Order: sequence, then C-alpha cells, then structure tokens
Amino acid sequence: MKKWVFMWLSLFFSVALADDNVVNVYAWSQEVSPKVVMQFQKDTGIKVNFSTFDSNEALYAKMKASKQTQYDVVEPSSYYISRMARENMIEKLDRSKLSNYGNLNPAFTHPDYDPTGEYSIPWVLGLTGIVVNRKYYPHDKLEKWTDLWSPKYRDSLLLLDDPREVFNIGLLTLGYSPNENNLQHLQQAYQNLVALLPNVRLYNSSSVPSLLIDEDVTIGMAWNADVYKASLQNPNIEFIYPKDKFVIWVDCFVVPTNAPHRENAYRFLNYVLQAKIAAMQVKETFYPTANLAARAYLPPEIANSKILSPSPEVLSQGYFQTDLNDNALDAISRYWQLLKLQ
Amino acid sequence: MRNKFQYFSVGLITTWLCIFGLLSFLVMVVMSFLQHDPDHIALWHFTLQNYEDLFDPIFFKIFIKSFYIAFMVTAACLLLGYPFAYIISRLPERLQNTALLLLLLPFWTSSVVRTYAMMSLLKTKGLLNTALLSLGLIHEPLQILFTNTAVAIGLIYNLLPFMILPIYVNLERFDISLIEAAKDLGAKYTTIFRKVIIPLSIPGIVGGCTLVFLPAMTLFFISDLLGGAKALLLGNLIEDQFLMANNWPRGAATSVLLTVIMAIGLLIYWFKSNKRINYDAAI
Repeated sequence: MKKWVFMWLSLFFSVALADDNVVNVYAWSQEVSPKVVMQFQKDTGIKVNFSTFDSNEALYAKMKASKQTQYDVVEPSSYYISRMARENMIEKLDRSKLSNYGNLNPAFTHPDYDPTGEYSIPWVLGLTGIVVNRKYYPHDKLEKWTDLWSPKYRDSLLLLDDPREVFNIGLLTLGYSPNENNLQHLQQAYQNLVALLPNVRLYNSSSVPSLLIDEDVTIGMAWNADVYKASLQNPNIEFIYPKDKFVIWVDCFVVPTNAPHRENAYRFLNYVLQAKIAAMQVKETFYPTANLAARAYLPPEIANSKILSPSPEVLSQGYFQTDLNDNALDAISRYWQLLKLQ
Repeated sequence: MRNKFQYFSVGLITTWLCIFGLLSFLVMVVMSFLQHDPDHIALWHFTLQNYEDLFDPIFFKIFIKSFYIAFMVTAACLLLGYPFAYIISRLPERLQNTALLLLLLPFWTSSVVRTYAMMSLLKTKGLLNTALLSLGLIHEPLQILFTNTAVAIGLIYNLLPFMILPIYVNLERFDISLIEAAKDLGAKYTTIFRKVIIPLSIPGIVGGCTLVFLPAMTLFFISDLLGGAKALLLGNLIEDQFLMANNWPRGAATSVLLTVIMAIGLLIYWFKSNKRINYDAAI
C-alpha cells in the first residue's frame, strides 16, 4: 500500500518537475489559504503544487527520505528549524531577493530557533495561554499558570493533547525554560504535572473552539487563535497571557537545500511577504501573522483584538520553542505516557 | 455431495480462523519476546524485558482500574440484560423476532458513529441536559461528558446486546415444566428463580459475561471520545504502546498477558462446571 502511494506520488512529481514554471510547496494543513495560492498563480503565472502535512515529524521524515528534495518551499515549526539548519537540510536565504522582508515584525526576525534570521521567514504564529469562561468563574484571579493548580478547579481543566505543550507549563511554573534539556528538571516538571492531574478533565487539541463554545470545558490551556474563534460566538470566553511566561510557536517558510525551482521559491516567499497577502491569510484562519505591515489591511476587530495581537510588552514575556536533544525528547514522551495512564 | 460441501465450508472457516485468528495471535506472541528497536518494528533478539516492564506499578494500576471498570460494566450489563432476556424469551414467537431485530438494529451503524452521537447527548448543552433542564428536574447542567461515568455509559450501551443474546438463547430453550413442577412442590417464586432458573441459565450468563468483560477492557475509542483522551482502559495502554510509544513488543506483551488472564478465567470455569450442570445438582 505505502509503496503504491509513493510510486504515484513520485510519478506525479516527476511530471511536475519536468514543467519548469512551478513551485512545490509543502505546508501545515490549514495554514496556507487556497485563496493565497490561487492569487499567487494568477499574479505570477507560476503553478503551485501544494501539499500538506499534519506533523513536523512527517515533514522531517519525508525530507530525510530522499537525497534530492522535491520541495521548493516547506513550512516547519520553529523548533524544527534549528534541527534542519544544523543538519544542512535548508539553505541560508538571499535577502536581496526578498524586497518585502522589511514588512516583518522585528520581534520575529531574530528568534532563538534561528538567531540570525537567515534561514526562515516567519509566517503564522500562535501563543499558548489560559482560557476561561467568565460565566462560570466570574471573579477568579487567573494570572498565572500556577493558578490552575488550585484545588477548586478539580476535574475541570482542558489540556492540549500535545506532550511538549503540556510540559511547557510544567517547566514554566517551576521557573525553568520550556526548552529544557536537563533531565532532572524534566523529571521535576513531570512530578509537578502529576500534581495537576486531579484537575484535568480532558486532553484535546483538534476541536478546542467547539468545546469552548458549547461550554463542555470552561477553563484550561489553549492556542489564542482557537480562543478567538470561540469568543466570536461565546462572548464569555476570555484569553489570558500568563504572567509566569508562555510559549510562542511560529511556523516558518524555509527553502530546502538544492530545491529544484529556487528562483520560483524566492518569488513565492517574496509574494507572501506582502502585507496584503499576509492579511488575507489572517482573515481566513485567524492565526496571528508575523507581518507587521499587514495590520493596516486587517479589519479593526482583528487588528485590535487583545487575543490575537498582544502588546509588545506582553510578547516580550513569550518564549520561542527550540529544538531539544534526543534524550530530552525521549524523556518527555515517556513521562507523557505515564501522565495519561494515571 | 453434501459431505463435500460440509468439508469445504468447515475447511474454509478453519483456514480463515487459522490465518487471521491463530496466526496473528502467534505473531503477537513471538513479537512479545523480541527486543524493542526505535527504527524498526522489532529487533530479532530474544528477551523477557517486555514482560518485566509490565510489573511497573503504573501498569499495575491501570490493570486494576481497567478490571474494576470492566467488572462494573459487566455487572450492570448482567443486571439490565438478564430480565430483558427473560422477558423476550417469554414473548410470543412473532414478538420475539421483532424484539431481537430491534435489539440488533443499532449494529447497522458503526459503533464509533454511535459514540459520537452519545457525545452530543451527554454534552453540557446536549439533548439530555436540555430535556432535564426544561422539565425542571435539574437547575444546573449535569457534567457527564469526559468523566468515568460517560465511559461506563458508553461501554454498557455498546455491550448490552452481547450480554442479552447468549442469555436469551439459553432461556429460550428453558423447559417451562420445571417451573410448574417447582410450583407444585410448593416453592415460592423467589426460590424458583434462585434455585431453578438461575442455576440452569449459568452457561448463558457465563457466555454473556465473557463477551462483555474483555471488550469492556479494550474498547479504547470509547474512553478516548467520552473520557477526554485520558487512558482508562487496558485498550488505551495497548493502543498507546503501538501507536504513540512505537513499542510493538511491549504492546504485544500487554495484549498476550490480557489473553492469558482471560484464558485462565475460562479454564477455571470449565473445570469447576465439569462440562454440564445436571438437574440433580441444581435442585
């Protein structure tokens, strides 16, 4: 079965490769709007072969599987960029070909996962914070992650069904960095999370907006774009940036080493760096953009939303997620299993 | 001619079961003694490590929890299913067929779909809460979804027919004259039920309990959907070993252990029951 799929795919791509005026884009599902792709094809005459993935692991495995990459532009999450750069899988970008680079928010051009900003173009981002339905908890003081440990939230919290996200709050509440490689600190974080378990009602990351709208969960951790979507339909829902810091994930465009259509890849990148195009994307999916100039093209309710566009002071409290070493990742996946089993 | 057909059909079923039942189980048994290897499914190297891993207190805890849930679900199914099966078996024959058809009707849709439907019933703003609230029976919506109660409701709902059918088959062949004889001899109805009906329907009860108990420990999607992705059942543990931890040998060891426990239970019953219950012993 797998072989067949692979054969069809390679056939498809060999045809695609033969045609010169194309760009092969491989991105997270739901993060590049079809509108953007269509507009690009119309404006430039370059055909986009667009495919999507649902996990960084899948993208990484596919890029590792063949020596000559088929992709011209891929969109990994921040913490995979440091790994890919280290392993020479992606190339340093030529800024002279990216005239719209200046549109980017300077806060995202020198992130920890790509300190010189040479490898990646930040595209969409998200922040993980506390969500609360004020109808159920009207006066609760919720400012920090540690507040979620309070016994009054017994059996009521929503946690994201994602090991690194959950470990982030385990580490942050102990004052450690979420990018901790120290196994002892990870063990402490695990014990800290065990103490949180009596409060956990469910793990979910794929249908958070509907759970919040229908009030099946009323408090927990969530991504800001999901909370924004829910708050449009249920005004009691509030998003809080925790004072004991939080994590920012950024999904970025990068160009694989030896990309077959390098020139078209640059044209694509420069195209999506336009403020108007970035704004078009935000209006579709509500994921905040790293494109500062795009603000001018956004409707005021999105541009001024405290959930989607936090102030620079708030943003400075965020951590960028970076890559962990294999030992730390193994430890997290083992602890995660134990957490779910208790 | 008839003989040939018999050989063919029996042979076909035997081959089918050997390939997809026995052989796949044997693959799991072999797998459970192999070494875990992150890059491949398993390493061709004999080890007992997978079984030693299962003595971890955490795994022990989930074994106990899963047994407890399965026990409660089986008991509930028995309490609900026994009277139900008894009533059906006493209906006129035409009504019996209709009742059985209605009992099996839910199987026309997949149980995953029915579990999603169950979610929309139990939600905070679901059908159940809306109905109870508008009737004034409750003032706050009941929080059932994503609790152990929801998992239990889902399991009982899904497994109840498996309890009713074997008991019904047993009771349907029940000889009514035995009850009349007991009445003639002056037994009260409770005594008849305790000393005649129950002992004679033990095979049906055991059959039903076996069909309910094992799935109640392994239907992982029910605890995933209704329990909020917290691993409650042994099935979640096995699923997790195979899919999340990518540790096939340990997953295999877990499911082999489960099979062994079930087999021991059945063997005990088999030896104790001494093949058949005779009427003398029952009375």
